[in-house]
Amino acid sequence: MKVRIIAKLDVKPPFVVKPVHFEGLRKVGIPTELAKKYYKQGADELLYIDIVASLYRREILFDEIEVTANELFIPFTVGGGVKTIDDFSKLFHCGADKVVINTFAVQEDPDIINRAAEIFGNQAVVVNIEAKKWDDHWECYTDCGRIQSGKNVLEWVEEVESRGAGEIVLQSVDTDGRQRGFDVTLAKKVVDAVNIPVIIASGAGSLEDIKTLIQEAKPSGVAIAGLLHYNKITIADIKKYLTEHGIEVSQ
Amino acid sequence: MSDVIGIVNYGITGNIHSIKKAIIKAGGDVLIIDEPSNFDNVDKIVLPGVGSFKNAMKELKSDGFIEKLENFNKPILGICLGMQILSRIGFEYGENKGINLINAEVKPVLCNGKVPHVGFNSIKVTADNKLLFGLDNKEFYFMHSYEVINYTNIISLTEYSGHKFVSAINKNNIYGVQFHPEKSREAGISLFKNFIEL
Repeated sequence: MKVRIIAKLDVKPPFVVKPVHFEGLRKVGIPTELAKKYYKQGADELLYIDIVASLYRREILFDEIEVTANELFIPFTVGGGVKTIDDFSKLFHCGADKVVINTFAVQEDPDIINRAAEIFGNQAVVVNIEAKKWDDHWECYTDCGRIQSGKNVLEWVEEVESRGAGEIVLQSVDTDGRQRGFDVTLAKKVVDAVNIPVIIASGAGSLEDIKTLIQEAKPSGVAIAGLLHYNKITIADIKKYLTEHGIEVSQ
Repeated sequence: MSDVIGIVNYGITGNIHSIKKAIIKAGGDVLIIDEPSNFDNVDKIVLPGVGSFKNAMKELKSDGFIEKLENFNKPILGICLGMQILSRIGFEYGENKGINLINAEVKPVLCNGKVPHVGFNSIKVTADNKLLFGLDNKEFYFMHSYEVINYTNIISLTEYSGHKFVSAINKNNIYGVQFHPEKSREAGISLFKNFIEL
């Protein structure tokens, strides 16, 4: 299977921001412009997360999402602050192909995964996980790595799969924004624990980091943010490099 | 005046937004079908699909669209779940009857790879067909846990983790694609151009 190279936009409307270690935000652009740019570079998918909707307990800003979707002819996955079936529905109508849920499912009502999967199909329900490493396990966090949930990541991923999630986006609170490589150990454990696709985010600092992650953990996709935002490399560079190293990507 | 392409808008699940802009980009005119009488004002139909088989059939029924689809004798293009529900029967969340325009069953994708099958994958055109003209070996975006199982009317196959499955079908005026042309860059726009020109 071709590994998906996904551009990730962490959005604090009206800006795309670059969280460093889930704290401290730098503005790096406007969602519509970056979406268009990464689409043209050959991104296989765009992941848009309103990273403050949940934290501020405010409504999702649907207009922002609809405008961003307008520029794309690739899949568009959207999340941040999703709490109800109505939120899912509205996001699909704004142009989302898949909807990401995290905080509400892990902190309040995991059953929303089952309900959403039955209505929208498994493939459209994506669970985002913010993992933080402790001595002997990883714990799920929410709200940009601020709030603990008490849930063990490796148990939670099996639970969300059995509840009907179609995909997992795995972020690491420890490696996010540092551009020093992924938590490959965790990535491998999660990929091996479930039968649904797993997208790994948090930590890409070089082309080699991406290659190592794919070779060792075999994820279905890799989500890249900072490396792209700071124009260090393009999606085309990543695909060229991976192809040269024998890793299959879409062209 | 070019053909008017109707997009069936049903239930709370549909993402018709992206299909609409892809058809417009391909040069077509779009009419969103919100009620049964709209079927009389279009030349072709696109039947989208986000959602589960069971739920999609429920919504189409309650909107009064099933009979209109059965009797529509101009081109219909089902996309993803929209292709699957053209079948006789589906097994997502129990056993559910489909629209039955194609003699096929819809069952879970069984293979060694991760399911849902998500991502870009190429199609192998197996029968000459106007819809897929010029698109052999092109990559399209797939996002599905179920597949159409039939032995006739196949126009393309796709391989995933060593498993070959039906990625497009055609029978008379009925067309279906398992992938999402509206999410497949230029190849997808080309497919819509072909559909407009049918």
